[in-house]
Amino acid sequence: MKQIIYLTLVLICGSLQAQSNYEKGMQTAFQLWQDNPIEASNLFERIAQAEPDNWLPSYYAAQINIIKSFNLKDVEKLTAQLNKAQGLIDKAATLSEDNPELMVLQALLHTAWLAFDGATYGRTLSPKIREIYMKAEQIAPENPRVKYCKAEWDMRSAQYFGQDTSPYCKDLEKALELFANFKPETPFHPNWGEERTASLFESCSQ
Amino acid sequence: MKRILTIIFVLIPMLFVAQTKIEGMVTTAKGNPIEGANIYLQGTYDGTTSDEDGHFSFLTSEQGTLTLILSYLSFETYKMTEDVHNMNHLQISLKEDINALDAVVLSAGTFKAGDNSKINALKPLDVVTTASALGDFVGALQTLPGTSTVAEDGRLFVRGGNANETQIFIDGIRVFTPYTPTTNNAPTRGRYSPFLFDGITFSTGGYSAEYGQALSGVLLLNTIDEPDQNKTDIGIMSLGATLGNTQKWDSGSLSMNMSYINLAPYNAIFPNRNNFIDPFEALSGELVFRKKTNNGLFKLYSAYSNTGFELTQEDINNPQGAYFKLKNNNGYVNTSYCGVLKHAWSIQGGLGYTRDTNSLILDDNHIDGIENSFHGKLNLKKRFSKRLILHSGIEYFNSQFTETFSNEEIDRARYGYRNNIAAVFSEMDIFISKKLAYKIGLRTEYSELLHDFNLAPRLSVAYKTSKKSQLSLAYGDFYQMPSSQVLKYHQDLQPQDAKHYILNYQFNADGKIFRAEAFYKTYDNLVKYDTDFPGFDSQYSSLGNAYARGIDLFWRDNRSLQNVDYWISYSYLDTQRNDSNYPQRTQPGYANKHNLSLVGKYWIEDWRSQLGMSYTFSSGRPYTNPNRSGFLNDRTKPYNSLSINWAYLISQQKILYASVNNVLGFRNVNGYQYANSPDTNGTFNRRALLPAADQFFFIGFFWTLSTDNKSNQLDNL
Repeated sequence: MKQIIYLTLVLICGSLQAQSNYEKGMQTAFQLWQDNPIEASNLFERIAQAEPDNWLPSYYAAQINIIKSFNLKDVEKLTAQLNKAQGLIDKAATLSEDNPELMVLQALLHTAWLAFDGATYGRTLSPKIREIYMKAEQIAPENPRVKYCKAEWDMRSAQYFGQDTSPYCKDLEKALELFANFKPETPFHPNWGEERTASLFESCSQ
Repeated sequence: MKRILTIIFVLIPMLFVAQTKIEGMVTTAKGNPIEGANIYLQGTYDGTTSDEDGHFSFLTSEQGTLTLILSYLSFETYKMTEDVHNMNHLQISLKEDINALDAVVLSAGTFKAGDNSKINALKPLDVVTTASALGDFVGALQTLPGTSTVAEDGRLFVRGGNANETQIFIDGIRVFTPYTPTTNNAPTRGRYSPFLFDGITFSTGGYSAEYGQALSGVLLLNTIDEPDQNKTDIGIMSLGATLGNTQKWDSGSLSMNMSYINLAPYNAIFPNRNNFIDPFEALSGELVFRKKTNNGLFKLYSAYSNTGFELTQEDINNPQGAYFKLKNNNGYVNTSYCGVLKHAWSIQGGLGYTRDTNSLILDDNHIDGIENSFHGKLNLKKRFSKRLILHSGIEYFNSQFTETFSNEEIDRARYGYRNNIAAVFSEMDIFISKKLAYKIGLRTEYSELLHDFNLAPRLSVAYKTSKKSQLSLAYGDFYQMPSSQVLKYHQDLQPQDAKHYILNYQFNADGKIFRAEAFYKTYDNLVKYDTDFPGFDSQYSSLGNAYARGIDLFWRDNRSLQNVDYWISYSYLDTQRNDSNYPQRTQPGYANKHNLSLVGKYWIEDWRSQLGMSYTFSSGRPYTNPNRSGFLNDRTKPYNSLSINWAYLISQQKILYASVNNVLGFRNVNGYQYANSPDTNGTFNRRALLPAADQFFFIGFFWTLSTDNKSNQLDNL
């Protein structure tokens, strides 16, 4: 019995040690995300500076800043947040070149500017956004987030021009298939978007 | 028991390693707590986020000397290196980031158009969506305060200065012949296509020491660094056609743009006061090549144009009309490089070369001119910190101008000049705080032709009066060579000098901009001559002088009314000048006291259309009436023009664009031409100088073919 307790304790300690600071940090940050995005973003940034070769923490810190910027009306705060997110994306991009996940994030960052002031940014940023999605699709045709974000973007543009959006519903359907088969490289690699794709696809059939 | 002890010894170090508590407070400079700041030990996982009282505390198992970092949006990151045991009861105040959006900007006298520059009076698109501008970048700037409406000329007249006093730069390199040639009484246009530029800065005074040889204003155009995508643009217009193509690859891109303009069909439909023998015809092409290097960007911009026309114009002294024939060839090449060096240094440099040949026949006078001009510049910038930036450079201009003149009596008289100017400049931006900033600069120039060495100090100060407003003061000394019209005959002159004093107030909030600027300008060493036009027989001196003072107001609002963006500019100008052939100080013929512009754009979502209007009013300009005594003794009636345009997106790739200038058909008079001799009653008869046509109509269809079939040329319109 004592042997077993001993073994168990040693194993627990071992596993505690095996779970690195990186994993603990990332897990904590993901847990914080929902209720306290600022703390989560801060923690991702801290991990990013402690793990200078890993693009993921910068990616998530940028993502939080971009998501926070949608529906923000304060131009000073928006500019500060999006500039910060841009810096994080640029940093991540130097660690992982031609990364389709970072391209999707870059397109979303531009979309946040567009959502803030379409009259000012629409005509200059829309071609950029399209170009990014096109390039991402060439690099990673099987990435579900590339497929779904591009489809959503195309759909919004088509709606704007009063054109048929049904071709993009097919893209969404395809994205759902890709999601079903998608396996992130590690538990911390990007793996979001499936729910949103499903709800967009649902509204398609209505 | 032993085992249990072992376990305890294994566990304790793991769970209770000797930990140090790091704690303190983080506040703004004013002592307000900062919530949400990120605080951590550099290179470790240990850190936290400050709470609503600005308080932070965390444990670390690190030992020894480490760097603690505090960062927060819109504040400068704070670093302290210390033994971790001493990192308690910390009281840290963060400095506001002077690069934040609400920080002070050194902007007196300047209008900027760019996506993300801090205060944008103009947007890049405005150049081509302003109703009266017809795609001319110069035309759009004429709706800004500080410019005078000189409808028959079309160039930029800034704050009482003549058109030669404003210089244009592409990627920092001077453009020597920016305007297309034109006949008398017909406005010129900017030579270059606005579609290739994405940044425009227009300064009507007090500009940086980097720019010289401009007494009144500078217009800085930047070519696009990286185009968005591969595409082909086709345009079919009532005046001609354009064709553009862009190819991009990983490290660079190439854009080409061709345009052919022929006014013959237009003139056949709409009556024109000129009698064209050979209609206005222009073929032009532009090419931009961009290549990214490891640490910088190389750009080559080149443009070529060939323009020609032949006509007779009504002339009161010549019943057959005045004959005018012109052929012009113009080539421009501009290469520039900007890059980052080590230790916060950056470099920017470029070379520009212009060759312009002009062949003109005026009645029986043949005038052939050749201009070769070169400009080279090298700039170095050092960021000592975010708060101290040094900017220094050297510059070299070389121009050669030769003209030959022949008529029945004179056979190929040849004259001209060659001039070299070398300049050195240095400027420092000092940000005392987020509220107060200085720019101090000095420029020195040496002109070989005039054997003259001059020193031009520049200074500006900006102070943030509230979160959304600021006050700026600027002073500058500016020198410029006399114009080539004079230098080709006579060179024993001094550089012309202007001094600017500017007081600027700016308010900027939520899509609204208000700007008020008062200025005072004095001129010295202006060129005078004693004949109607400069010539060989004229007597020249550098004894001319002038002053200009006034107020410029600007208001733009794109938020208050849905889908409406509008701006209003008003300028008041009081100027008196004694130069060229003026017998005394008087208001020059190109200056008007009041200028008002109103520009509006309305986006109709359901029609996928943008409707635009632009209204200009300017008070009368002086002209000389020989039936009364005096010089520039009469005023023309005020100028009025209302222009409208409509851009319709047929689909994502096709746009239809139409515009009408002076839709209400105001009959504007640019001035009068008087007979050389009086009639039998002793009065000098006159003829009104009217524009070639009161109204102008334009229709164009633009089609973009891109790899994804979604892009369009709305950016271009």
